[in-house]
Amino acid sequence: MFDVIVIGSGPAGYVAAIRASQLGLKTACIEKSSSNSKPQLGGTCLNIGCIPSKALLDSSHRYADALNHLSDHGIKVTKPKIDISQMMDRKNKIVSQLTSGVAGLLKVNKVSQITGSAKIIDSNNVEVTNEEKTELFKTKNIIIATGSMPIDIPVAKVDNKNIVDSTGALEFKSVPKTLGVIGAGIIGLELGSVWSRLGSKVTILEAMDDFLPMADSKVSDDVFKEFNKQGLNINLGCKVTAAISNEKKVTVNFEKNGNQSELTFDKLIVAVGRKPYTNNLFDESCGLSVDHNGFISVNDFCETQIKNIWAVGDVVRGPMLAHKASEEGIMVAERIAGNQVEMEYDIVPSVIYTHPEVAWVGKNEKELKDVGVEFKTGSFPFAASGRALATGESTGFVKVIADKRTDTILGVHAFGPAAADIVQQGVVAMEFGASAEDLGLTIFSHPTVSEALHEAALAVNQQAIHIGNSKK
Amino acid sequence: MTTEIKSPTFPESVADGTIANWVKKEGDSVKQDEVIAEIETDKVVLEVVAPFDGVVSKVLKPAGETVLSAELIAEFRKEDINQASAVPKNEIVAEPEKEQGLEINHELKDSSNKNGPAVKKLLKEHDLNESDISGSGKNGRITKSDIVNHLDVPVSKDQEKSMSPSVKIASSSDERLEERVPMSRLRSTIANRLLTVKQETAMLTTFNEVDLKPIKDLRAKYGNEFEEEHGVKLGFMGFFVLAAVQALKKFPVVNASIDGTDIVYHGYQDIGVAVSTDRGLVVPVIRDAGNLRIADVEKSILDYSDKARHGKLSISEMQGGTFTISNGGVFGSLLSTPILNAPQTAILGMHTIQDRPVAIDGEIVIRPMMYLALSYDHRLLDGKEAVSFLIAIKDQLESPEKLLLNL
Repeated sequence: MFDVIVIGSGPAGYVAAIRASQLGLKTACIEKSSSNSKPQLGGTCLNIGCIPSKALLDSSHRYADALNHLSDHGIKVTKPKIDISQMMDRKNKIVSQLTSGVAGLLKVNKVSQITGSAKIIDSNNVEVTNEEKTELFKTKNIIIATGSMPIDIPVAKVDNKNIVDSTGALEFKSVPKTLGVIGAGIIGLELGSVWSRLGSKVTILEAMDDFLPMADSKVSDDVFKEFNKQGLNINLGCKVTAAISNEKKVTVNFEKNGNQSELTFDKLIVAVGRKPYTNNLFDESCGLSVDHNGFISVNDFCETQIKNIWAVGDVVRGPMLAHKASEEGIMVAERIAGNQVEMEYDIVPSVIYTHPEVAWVGKNEKELKDVGVEFKTGSFPFAASGRALATGESTGFVKVIADKRTDTILGVHAFGPAAADIVQQGVVAMEFGASAEDLGLTIFSHPTVSEALHEAALAVNQQAIHIGNSKK
Repeated sequence: MTTEIKSPTFPESVADGTIANWVKKEGDSVKQDEVIAEIETDKVVLEVVAPFDGVVSKVLKPAGETVLSAELIAEFRKEDINQASAVPKNEIVAEPEKEQGLEINHELKDSSNKNGPAVKKLLKEHDLNESDISGSGKNGRITKSDIVNHLDVPVSKDQEKSMSPSVKIASSSDERLEERVPMSRLRSTIANRLLTVKQETAMLTTFNEVDLKPIKDLRAKYGNEFEEEHGVKLGFMGFFVLAAVQALKKFPVVNASIDGTDIVYHGYQDIGVAVSTDRGLVVPVIRDAGNLRIADVEKSILDYSDKARHGKLSISEMQGGTFTISNGGVFGSLLSTPILNAPQTAILGMHTIQDRPVAIDGEIVIRPMMYLALSYDHRLLDGKEAVSFLIAIKDQLESPEKLLLNL
C-alpha cells in the first residue's frame, strides 16, 4: 500500500513525488514512456519541450550572432557553417543528462519507480500495464500528472515527414529552405525562431486576428514588429484549409479575408496548441471524467470530484507551464501530508524564449480595464539602459502596472534582454504584495538590464531618473 | 566619559514611541534620576531619566521623531555637577559600559526590520504604529496597500498636505486661517481604535434611568464617617463599580469577549474607568473589582485619576479590562451612546444627575435621576441579556442594601 501514487513523471509528477516522499509519504511514480527499456522520465518539458527547444534556441542564436552581429564588435568571422547533427547531439546529450538526473533524484528521495501505462480503477487502486505484465497497486492517494500533447488538426495531419508537430520540429536532419508554421503562439514563435536563424525562410500562419492576445498589447505590438524584422513573416487572420504533403514538399492552402491563397514549404510545423492527455487513464467505473476541453476538473487545491484523487499540471485548468505544474505538484504533496499550502494563481509568470525574450506576470492593461480597476503605468525602454546599449541589445522595454490608489504592483511586462529574469524579480515583489514604490526604493546593481525594472517602477509615480516622466 | 541614553524598553504591545519633548537640552546639567526627555507611546508617556549626574552632551533624536524600544536617543557625559563626593562613581561606571555593548544588538535589530521600504517610509511619514495596521501580505506582512487603505486617503492634493508632519497655515485671500497639526500619538490611537470598534462590532445601545435618592441618602448619612474611616470621599463611582460587578457575575457573558470564533469567559471582573486627561481619554483598570470593598474602589479611582492627570499611568495599569464604565455626567452629559472598549462586550455610560419629576406609587415626586446607557456588542449579547443586565445595575443602585446582600 502506497500513501501516494503519482501518474506521470514530468515537472508536475516528479516534483510532487519527490516532495511527497520528503514529507514521509510512501510514494511511487509511474511513467509509461521508455527508451532502450529504461523509463524516459521528465515528461514533455525535459524530453520534447522546454529543454531541447532551449538547447536549439541557444545554438541557433550563437550561429546568428556569428553570422550577423560579431562583426559589429569588430570580430571578423569567415562564414560560419552549421553541423546540424552535432547541434542535435548536443541537445540530446543535455536531455539525457537531465532525464537521468530525474531518475537519480527519485532514487535519492526513495520514490518507487514503476514503468508502464496506468489506469485508475478507483481512488485506491491503480493498474499498471507494461510489456511484461499487468499489476495492481494499492494507494491512499492518487496524483494525476499525465500532462498534455500537441493538438492535431484534420486539415494538416502530422505525418512526421514533411508535416511535424513541436516534437518533430526539434528533430530535423537538415535546415529546411522554406518552413511554414501554423500558429503564432509561444511554441510557434520559438521553433520558427530556431529555424529562421539557421537559415530557413519562415512563414507563420496564425488563424486569429490578434497577435499574442495574452500579452500586454504594447508588448505584442512591439514583438510583432521586431519578429517580422527578424524574418519570421507572421501572417494574422490566416485559416489553413488544407495541407497536402508529397515526397518533398508541403502545399498549404489558407484563407484570409475570404481570399484563398497557397504556399509551398519544405517543412510544415503544426503548433496550434496543446491538449490535456488522459487517454485510457480511467476505468469507466472510477467516476472521474473530463470537461468538454478534455481537462480534469479540479478546485484551487487541485482536488478532483473524487476524494483522494488529485490532478496537477497541463491536465488541469490554467496555463500549460512547467513552473505552474511543479508548484501544483508541491501544493498537492503538502496538502496530502496535511499542510495548508496554497497556490497564487494570479502570479504565474509566462515567458517566450525568443531573442529578445518576452515575459510577463500579473495583469495587462486590457484585463484591468475589462474589470474596471484603475491603474497607473511606468515604462522604461532598453534604448535608455547603459548596459543594454553596451551589449548591443537595446530593443524593447519594461512596463510596470500598479493600482492607481494603493500603488500595489498588478503586472510586470518585459520585452528585451533577460526579460524572463527581469519579470522574475517582479514575481518575487508581487508575492510579497510590493508596491511600485517598494521597487523604486530598492537598490539595483549598475550597470544591469534589471535597472530597467527599477526605472519603470519609478516611472509609475513619475520619478524615473533616466528618462523623461510623462505628465499626468 | 560618554554614555548612551536609550529609550525605555517598551512592552511587547508597544511598537514604538515619539519623543514628546526634551525636558533638558543639549549642554544642560542634570542630576541622577532627573527627567531628561518624555516619550509618548500610544498608551502612556514614558520618562527617560539621567542614569547619574552629568550633562546631556548630544541629542540624537529630536522631538517628534519616532523611536523604537531601547533605541539610542542621546549621548550623556558623566560629570560631577556638584563637586560633591565622588564615592559612588566606580559602582555606576560599570553600568554604562555594559550598555555600550548593546549597541551592536540595536543595529542588528534595525536591519532585520521586516517591513518593505515603502512601508517603512509611510509608517514614518504618517507617524503610524505598525501594530495598528493589519498586514495582508505573506505571514501578516504589512504592504503599502494596507497602509494606504488604513489611511483611507484618496490620492489627491489633500494627501500631500496630510503627509507633511509640519504645521501648515493656509491663508486664503480673505484671511480665513486654517491650522493643520499632526494628531498626537494618543489621539491617533484613540481615533483608530474607536473607528475599528465601530466597523468591526455590531454595537447598539440600550437605555434606562436610575433614581439615586437612596445612594444620596446613604452618602448624606455616612459620608463623613466613611471619609474619617477610609481617608477617601464616598462618591458615586464606588457604588456603580460594585453594582456593575454584581451584575457581571449574574450575566457572565457581558463580562466575556470574542476572540476569532471563540467566546472567552473571564473568571474575574476587571473594570476600566474612563478618565479624561489633557492629552485625551485613558482607561485605567481596577483589577479584581469583584473582591473589593467600596472604599478600595474609591481609593483606586482617586489614585488613578491623579496619575492620569499627570501622565504617570503605566501601560500595565491600562491593559486588559473586562468591562468599562464611562462617566460623561461629570461634563454635564444628559444622554450618550458610549463606544465599546474592544475587545470588551459592553460599556456602561453614566450621565449627569438631574432633579426630575417621576411617578412613584401613583405620586409625582422630584427625584435625583440619572440616565444609564449600556452599549453592547450584539454579536455576543442579545437584547434580553443586555436589558436585564442594565436593569440589574439599576435595581442595585436603587436598593443599595442589595449590594451588601449580593442580590
